[in-house]
Amino acid sequence: MNLSTSSSDSQAWGRWLATFLCMAALGACMIFALVILVDPYDSGRFGFIGIKGISDESPRTANASRGRDPQFSAAVFGNSTGQLLKPTELSQATGVRFVQLTIPGTGPREQIVQLRWFVRHHARADALVIVTDSVWCTDDPTLPIFNPFPFWLYSDSPIEYLGQLFSSRALGRLVRRVELGLGLRTPSAPDGYWNYELLGHGEFRPAPPPNEPADTAAVAETQFPAIEQLAGFIANVPNIPVVLVMPPMIASDLPRPGSSGAARLAACKGALARLVAGRPHSNFLDFRVDDPLTRDRKNFLDPVHYRAPVARRMEQRIAESLRVGNAGPTTF
Amino acid sequence: MLFNDYAFLLVFLPASLVIYRFADPHPQWRIGVLVILSFVFYSYWNPLFIILLALSITVNWLAARGYLATKRGGFITGSIVANLAVLGFFKYANFVSDNLAYLFERPLWHFNIALPLGISFFTFHHIMYLVDLRRGKAPDYSLGRYALYISFFPQSIAGPLARWSEVMHQFGRQAYAPGWQRQFAVGVTFIVIGLIEKTWLADPLGRLLDPIYAQAIHGPVTNGNSWPALGFAFQVLFDFAGYCDVAIGVGLLFGVQLPYNFNAPLRSTNLQDFWQRWHITLMTFLRDYVFIPLSNVKIGRKRYRLVQHFSAMLLTMALCGLWHGASWTFVLWGALHGCALVIVSLWRRYGPRLPALLGWALTAIFVLLTCVIFRAGSMEAAMNIYRGLAELPDLERTLRSVPIIIAALCAFLLPASQDIVAGLTERPKTAIAAVLGLAAVAILVELGDRDAYEFVYFQF
Repeated sequence: MNLSTSSSDSQAWGRWLATFLCMAALGACMIFALVILVDPYDSGRFGFIGIKGISDESPRTANASRGRDPQFSAAVFGNSTGQLLKPTELSQATGVRFVQLTIPGTGPREQIVQLRWFVRHHARADALVIVTDSVWCTDDPTLPIFNPFPFWLYSDSPIEYLGQLFSSRALGRLVRRVELGLGLRTPSAPDGYWNYELLGHGEFRPAPPPNEPADTAAVAETQFPAIEQLAGFIANVPNIPVVLVMPPMIASDLPRPGSSGAARLAACKGALARLVAGRPHSNFLDFRVDDPLTRDRKNFLDPVHYRAPVARRMEQRIAESLRVGNAGPTTF
Repeated sequence: MLFNDYAFLLVFLPASLVIYRFADPHPQWRIGVLVILSFVFYSYWNPLFIILLALSITVNWLAARGYLATKRGGFITGSIVANLAVLGFFKYANFVSDNLAYLFERPLWHFNIALPLGISFFTFHHIMYLVDLRRGKAPDYSLGRYALYISFFPQSIAGPLARWSEVMHQFGRQAYAPGWQRQFAVGVTFIVIGLIEKTWLADPLGRLLDPIYAQAIHGPVTNGNSWPALGFAFQVLFDFAGYCDVAIGVGLLFGVQLPYNFNAPLRSTNLQDFWQRWHITLMTFLRDYVFIPLSNVKIGRKRYRLVQHFSAMLLTMALCGLWHGASWTFVLWGALHGCALVIVSLWRRYGPRLPALLGWALTAIFVLLTCVIFRAGSMEAAMNIYRGLAELPDLERTLRSVPIIIAALCAFLLPASQDIVAGLTERPKTAIAAVLGLAAVAILVELGDRDAYEFVYFQF
């Protein structure tokens, strides 16, 4: 390619370069202006147009809006094992308005971020229900995450948030929100409830865990770094009632009594129970037990995802715990 | 730092341009500044590897000086052997160990080695210079200029494999000489076109094909899913051609014109033509430094020269496969292309002339089918894809394959990207500049999702 030019051409090519840079800069500025006006995720940081609500199927991003919604003063946290707890049932039983902030496929790190986000926007929250399934019993201090999670969306820094809005995903959300504002879209459920039973057919094979004998000394030394982090969070919100829920699983898959798995699980449950011991209107509910409800396969979609009758029973116990604390029942 | 991430496009590249703008009026600074920038770029992945790069440059440069001072070929031979040994250790030690372990049916050593980025490329750069030095074709160069030849950041990681004769004289030249605006405009156009190839053509294919190849590792590929898998040829074309176009564009912003690496290869009407248009700089290297020496070395009687010629062709292509990765699937892929090149050579010599359209179709089908072996990772996985071709995809699956159809049309119908760039920058039309400016923003928005795919050729 011949790259030589005359001096008059040089000026024209200079203008060409200036046009390229100006259009790129103009395009970038317009995008930033739009995201600042619309606030694609309804995170409350910008959004000067004032569109209400979101149209977003992913709880990973939609919870930024739900978690700061002032119509709710209590929330359920966790992963899919807490998804079937119905906010309307909990609200009716307790008299406080619940929102579902569980996110499938998340672990302690993501859930603590959700807890902080909710409390930051609800300084006088009425209740926190945290579904602490086995991911909280990890001894890995790095608290690994297994699916991508938008930590920037829940960050304290608006700059970090703004830096992530220059993306096709954010622009997609922006278009949806504008359509929502224009009445062309229906908003997502404000309370975040979604019934996973609509998807599953419920055929599964039980897989009992290995029956290794318990090493009592090793279990006694086990640390639960996720629970330690949760303890730090709970200590910072002394006035908010907290109910920790160990969700049920099919009884046939529970660790055999006397095995190392059972000893670990017991140690983990003990650590969780200690977090809320003596705290007003708070409790640790242990549904991971061998019980007529958990022995019936009809009550499960798969080994860890229970069906509606189990969820209704759990909601009753959560409501009782919020009323009387650990003076009430601690299991089914 | 990838060419398609923000760290490069919004931080390193603009900062380098500003720094070099200040160095440009001072001829004595130009090469030094570019070497420092190149080392900074290289150190982004693993700062420890710059020691390897610096050692590699120094040792090879000293070997060249030793040869020039004494005319002893041992300096060159020793240096080339050392280069290949380092490459062999980092890239093939575990491959050799695994194969020996399989042969002797007992476990052998296993190294926990991270492959230094670009080692295949800078090793070949050394070899090109050293061989030509010994042939009396290459002159002596200062350490700074030689260091820049090996480390020049637009080409150091994945090519193009520029020959010393193509770039050495350009290093240290004034980038902001009269008329630099046109050169910059061409450079910018190359960068935008390259990013379009990568972001809008190659990456969507990656998202479609990765699950299919993952499925093939574990078992049969059903429901006609094997057909989209053939699209890997388009993915690797636009991925690597896109990378090379960005490299060429960035080179121009620093006053260096790098060689072109692709010339619309999937429009070739026979396989020989294809290999003259696909990864041109690697194939030129293999032709000049492997195939021709192997073909010309005197072994056996004259009447066996044709056999030697074709054996050299086959061996060169098998080595080409092995260069791409330490796996028998790569060797098989290269050997299949070698066999096909022998057949094409014989056909062109003795067979009837094929219509161009038939030649193009046969070439494209062969390239698409063999690319499955290149991508699959194992013969079992490749066979799972091939067996799946017996089942045709349904309409829904075909509709989901729209990115493959678009990429195929671009590969089969569009001219080479350098010709597209030449057309776009023939005259200084501001409308084109405006469209490219908006395209650049659109690409940055796309890259903002932060799950941009690495360039496929980085692993080689």
